[in-house]
Amino acid sequence: MLNDPQVLARITPGIQTLEEVAPDHYKAVSEVKIGPVKGRFSGDLRITDKNPEKSSVVELNQQSKIGNAKARITMGLHAIDDSHTEIQYSGEAQVSGMLARMGQRLIGGVVSSLSRQFFEALAREINQET
Amino acid sequence: MQISLTINGKSYSQEVEPRTSLAHFLRDTLDLTGTHIGCDTSSCGACTVLLDGKAVKSCTVLAVQADGSEITTIEGMANGDQLHPIQEAFQENHGLQCGFCTPGMVMTAADILANNPNPSEADIRHGLEGNFCRCTGYHNIVKSIQHAAEKMNS
Amino acid sequence: MENYIGKPIKRREDTRFLKGAGRYTDDIKLPHMAHVAFVRSPYAHAKILNIDTTAAAQAEGVIAIYTGADECGNFGVPCGWQVNFKNGDTMREPQHPLLAKEKVRHVGEAVAVVVAETQALARDAAELVEVEYEELPAVTNPKDAMQPGAPLVHDQWPDNAAFDWCIGNDRAEVEKALENAYHVTELEFINNRLAPNAIEPRSYIADYNVNDDKWTLYTSTQNPHLIRLLLCAFTLGLPEHKVRVVSYDVGGGFGSKIYHYTEEALVTWLSRQVGRPVKWTADRSEAFMTDAHGRDHVVKSKMGFDKDGKIVAHLTDEYCAMGAYLSTFAPAIPTYLHGTLFQGLYTTPLIHLNVVAPFTHTVPVDAYRGAGRPEATYLIERLISKAAIEMNMDPAEIRFKNFIPPFDGINQPGYQTQVALQYDSGNYAAALEKALEAAGYENFRKEQEEARQNGKLLGLGISTWIEGCGIAPSAVVGALGARAGLYEVGHVRVQPTGKVTVYTGTHSHGQGHETTFAQFVADKLGIPIEDVDIEHGDTNEVAFGMGTYGSRSLAVGGSAIVKSIDKVLEKGARIAAHKLEAAVEDLEYGDGKWTVKGTDKSISFGDVALTAYVPHDYPQGEEPGLDFSSFYDPVNFTFPFGAHICIVEVDADTGKVTIKRFITVDDVGNIINPMIVDGQIHGGVVQGIGQALLEEVAYDEGGQMITGSYMDYAMPRADDVPFIETHNTVTPCPHNPLGVKGAGEAGTIGATPAVVNAVIDALAHLGVRDIQMPLTPQRVWKAMQNNN
Repeated sequence: MLNDPQVLARITPGIQTLEEVAPDHYKAVSEVKIGPVKGRFSGDLRITDKNPEKSSVVELNQQSKIGNAKARITMGLHAIDDSHTEIQYSGEAQVSGMLARMGQRLIGGVVSSLSRQFFEALAREINQET
Repeated sequence: MQISLTINGKSYSQEVEPRTSLAHFLRDTLDLTGTHIGCDTSSCGACTVLLDGKAVKSCTVLAVQADGSEITTIEGMANGDQLHPIQEAFQENHGLQCGFCTPGMVMTAADILANNPNPSEADIRHGLEGNFCRCTGYHNIVKSIQHAAEKMNS
Repeated sequence: MENYIGKPIKRREDTRFLKGAGRYTDDIKLPHMAHVAFVRSPYAHAKILNIDTTAAAQAEGVIAIYTGADECGNFGVPCGWQVNFKNGDTMREPQHPLLAKEKVRHVGEAVAVVVAETQALARDAAELVEVEYEELPAVTNPKDAMQPGAPLVHDQWPDNAAFDWCIGNDRAEVEKALENAYHVTELEFINNRLAPNAIEPRSYIADYNVNDDKWTLYTSTQNPHLIRLLLCAFTLGLPEHKVRVVSYDVGGGFGSKIYHYTEEALVTWLSRQVGRPVKWTADRSEAFMTDAHGRDHVVKSKMGFDKDGKIVAHLTDEYCAMGAYLSTFAPAIPTYLHGTLFQGLYTTPLIHLNVVAPFTHTVPVDAYRGAGRPEATYLIERLISKAAIEMNMDPAEIRFKNFIPPFDGINQPGYQTQVALQYDSGNYAAALEKALEAAGYENFRKEQEEARQNGKLLGLGISTWIEGCGIAPSAVVGALGARAGLYEVGHVRVQPTGKVTVYTGTHSHGQGHETTFAQFVADKLGIPIEDVDIEHGDTNEVAFGMGTYGSRSLAVGGSAIVKSIDKVLEKGARIAAHKLEAAVEDLEYGDGKWTVKGTDKSISFGDVALTAYVPHDYPQGEEPGLDFSSFYDPVNFTFPFGAHICIVEVDADTGKVTIKRFITVDDVGNIINPMIVDGQIHGGVVQGIGQALLEEVAYDEGGQMITGSYMDYAMPRADDVPFIETHNTVTPCPHNPLGVKGAGEAGTIGATPAVVNAVIDALAHLGVRDIQMPLTPQRVWKAMQNNN
């Protein structure tokens, strides 16, 4: 499910369009609000180091008028039992421009809230399918 | 969009772009350049005006939001050559140096004194929290407002 | 007769400011004026691969778009001070282009400019300019910039040093004295980078008139003539006599508006390109990214003492950031305005300072209120207070032991320091004695102990300070690398009716020259102050001028006016002698009239003025008119000094510092307007408190400025500070006619170390000896935990 771009687009907060340009390489347009600044981002989303049912890495390279963002998110899947899988994730992000000047100290908070939204949406998605 | 409002007792009816802030409307459209813009995050207070009697940062109010309201800017404080008691107090107490934050300080002072005619030093300092001054260290601004309170109460 | 000097005369300029009728540059609107927006780099260091302006060029209201590939990319703003390497190599001076060409070197550097019908449309179009960058690693800390392998700011040089420099005694001799010292106090810290933050953002309007082939530049500057000179002679190569630079009201400067910036040169160039007046006003975000910053020294220091607490030697090594390019006075700040004050107020016999000044991927660094002198004072005053704790001495006592004895510069000679300068006059112990008395120092230790018993952490910090103001004479500063003179011009025009217009080359952006200058002019001429008007800020009105910075206006600019007044009175006496049929030697001047000594025969200033302009009954061979201009080049700097005491309470649970009292004793020489001097001290002190407790421009590892707004950069607000208790001592300057020394920077210089010393004093019993500025609650709390 996590490898389906349509699902990813649906559950990733802020994503407006996600268009496949090559396998595991998407063009993404998103809109994110970070503290006082809100921006429309566009750029690349790549899934690398894909290790089905174990782990994958999402690399984001997004440009916007309020600054650019680069992020690398590692997701690991661990089967707990037949019906439960634990998702672990970690990531690092670099921002520039107005985002860095005015939003930097809020980014940690925004990342956790976006992550929470992502997993809530994922949970909804799973519940709908099952 | 067409807006109508009263500024310093005078009625205006004007076409504005919806994205125009009240601060830019006052400065650029009406040439009321006494209201200053010192930042882009509603932090400095240089643009403070009274909107229906309450101090607002005019950089954060859209001109269209002010439709139908009554605005007082620094230009509306004096009565001809007769300065408002707050303005007088600022001059008598050297409450200004470069003068750039001054309009916002005077308008904020008007708001502080309207809500509390006998403010303590702490009340005044708290009331000025939204206004930056880089010249005076606030010392003489606080003194000015204390003095203005005395004048207006006598 | 002194009717005005020494009195707190209310300011004349206030009326227009209080009515909202000030004339700041952004208030000016010219017919057909176009507006400018910049496209700025989001990266600290990157190659510019491509700039696509196609979409922007088609946007609504766009008049023109330029990039560094256009002619304007060939122009650069100059540096006004040259400091060479110790080995004699020439200072490395990169071109500072109006628009970046191949590379960007700090966040916010402009890469393209859009001219459009309105500001909003210019900004809309600027957003459509597509710039492709290749991001490169950046370095923002000046010490890191000098490590092997650090990213280079300018590729043409093998390392990032712009220059290195030293001053004082032989290093080996100083090191030896430290080895032999009874006690050595050490300190390592960063003097935090500050953003000056005048509340008025910079603003420029250029108006090229094709019919006259003349330019007018309206600019928010502290020194219009200097800007004209740099713009014409160095940046754009314009004919100086065809360029007028006007700066009416300026909303604060604090150093940041001294400099010649790329944007003002660019709007001047643009106005001719588009054939219309062109305006640019920075927003706050741009101000953070483009106004020159202050401080940013990485410091390592040792001060040696004998067993009585006398300083025997002082050795300091510093890395002082220059930023990506050399701003107008940048090289002078950590050198001639910094190292030359390492004597402080003390008799230190051996001093050595070594400075390395690297380029960094940051906004350029230049003078910010105090300029090099707060950094020197902070270092010396922290060292001596730390030494007092370590040597178990009283912080006042250790200072009294080391003060230079009083000297007035007339009966006793000036004091020759180990670091090139000769102090003019001083009585340093007197200032500290007065401050201690005002603070109630005798009882303080008892109160502190009692407070500790009750769980309250009280601390008292002392700092004493000295500053070199009104730097001059020109020949000396020229030998030190200044590329301009540092004299001043004062023009006194007596009108036929006896009214007086005074033109000064200095500039007031909050200092109140229109009042202070009128006070001494009226007194010297014996006329009512209402008859005197002070003009500044227009190159068409005043012959020349160096502007206002370094607390120089009254000492240098005021003295130039006094020179012209002397000439007016000399000529007036000849006219009066003719009218009174007396010899010049028999006349005396006072109360606005010339009187024949011992008689009641007199003629008023106004009658002489009228006679000068209607010379019917007139001395033979005398030129008509009563109008004199003078250039004044001082013989030396002036050296104001003082003592500040700060009392703080530190919250034991949170580490939050509250300033309970702040006491100043400043000796700024003679005082013309005590109200204005006090105001200067108040503001300066609060800026100094800002550096100590709140302010810091911070960069992340990639070179992004993460404190680029008022929400992220903490400046003092009204409830962060108490009333400031100001006092003075008066030790006149012996070498200028008004006996004045300068007051503009005093507060900032003395305050910062007083605050930090107070916090350390409050926590000393916990073993805390130093905390990195700004002393945020988190840092203070951590220091308390680490030492508990």
